[in-house]
Amino acid sequence: GEELALLEKALGLQSGNKYGAHGERQIPVLQTNNGPGLTGLVTIASYLVKQAKKEQLLGSSAEEKAVVHQWLEYRVTQVDRHSSREDTKTVLKDLNIHLEDKVYLAGNSFTLADILMYYGLHHVMVDLTVQEKETYLNVSRWFNHIQHYPGVRQHLTNVVFIKNRLYTNAH
Amino acid sequence: MGFGDLKSAAGLRVLNDFLADKSYIEGYVPSQADIAVFEAVGAPPPAELFHALRWYNHIKSYEKQKASLPGVKKALGKYGPADVEDTTGAATDSKDDDDIDLFGSDDEEESEEAKKLREERLAQYESKKSKKPAVVAKSSILLDVKPWDDETDMAKLEECVRSIQADGLVWGSSKLVPVGYGIKKLQIQCVVEDDKVGTDMLEERITAFEDYVQSMDVAAFNKI
Repeated sequence: GEELALLEKALGLQSGNKYGAHGERQIPVLQTNNGPGLTGLVTIASYLVKQAKKEQLLGSSAEEKAVVHQWLEYRVTQVDRHSSREDTKTVLKDLNIHLEDKVYLAGNSFTLADILMYYGLHHVMVDLTVQEKETYLNVSRWFNHIQHYPGVRQHLTNVVFIKNRLYTNAH
Repeated sequence: MGFGDLKSAAGLRVLNDFLADKSYIEGYVPSQADIAVFEAVGAPPPAELFHALRWYNHIKSYEKQKASLPGVKKALGKYGPADVEDTTGAATDSKDDDDIDLFGSDDEEESEEAKKLREERLAQYESKKSKKPAVVAKSSILLDVKPWDDETDMAKLEECVRSIQADGLVWGSSKLVPVGYGIKKLQIQCVVEDDKVGTDMLEERITAFEDYVQSMDVAAFNKI
């Protein structure tokens, strides 16, 4: 519900879509005018991207589209589960490795994967200590970049990353 | 500012370090700043400097649009970490700091005389800099920041303090010092330029974080 509203705004869509939530795990449902409701975060998000005529956010080449989809799936299966602190650390470690040589999740272009991963990880990043942010340096760099992307952050808290690194030198 | 000689291993290491927590040379979008540095680097950095390589490959993907990227190309010495000296003295693709570049030319070839004069000036500048410019008065201040109680999140408190940014203010190291009853105060160092930042301003901004900070005191104050 709330995340999808944020996404709509980020995509420049007028809100008008009606959302519900289904089942114990509160899976989002979108009531469309002509047809059955759409279920699932990734499904609805992809639909909204197309509604906003911003299909490039789903990836350009076949490979890029697959990578975008891979991270959307990761978001729902790995990030959203009621995770223990250990699981969260694993996610951050995975992302940190993946982002070592990439500016965005899909490589060189900003995509829906970046947007949904940002929303999905916001509550995690907000609570990281200064030292943890430095440990997951690539994630911090990526997160700081995405939160400055026009229209994405909206009313969410700006997570502070300090400029002068204190703990590093081991990269 | 500046990265040093970007065709040397040392310069690339400075660039690599600079880019560890940044996607771009300046700001959050690709700009002429990135193009200027990209052109100076010339070739992909080695694989072990993976931040620089990540940035290089990313900027390369903008090659076709480079003319339309925002911003204006500046001299290389204007980009990069603030605390690195611009050491592009002897190389032919060097750009000097404005104050000491008497001849202001972008030519790669310089007359012997001009080169000698510039190197002399650079040496003077460097020795002056290593003594910390006498012109700017600085102080090193040690602050004690006290929380409300022993349940205050000290990591958050530290973050709030460090988030205070100002021209002429640089945060240094910090530690937590127990003061009794399980309460710890944050002792944090900072260096300020006297005419830009004062302890009143620091106190005002630190105590503004009312949720975490009960009070702030100056534990030590030394002129540098």
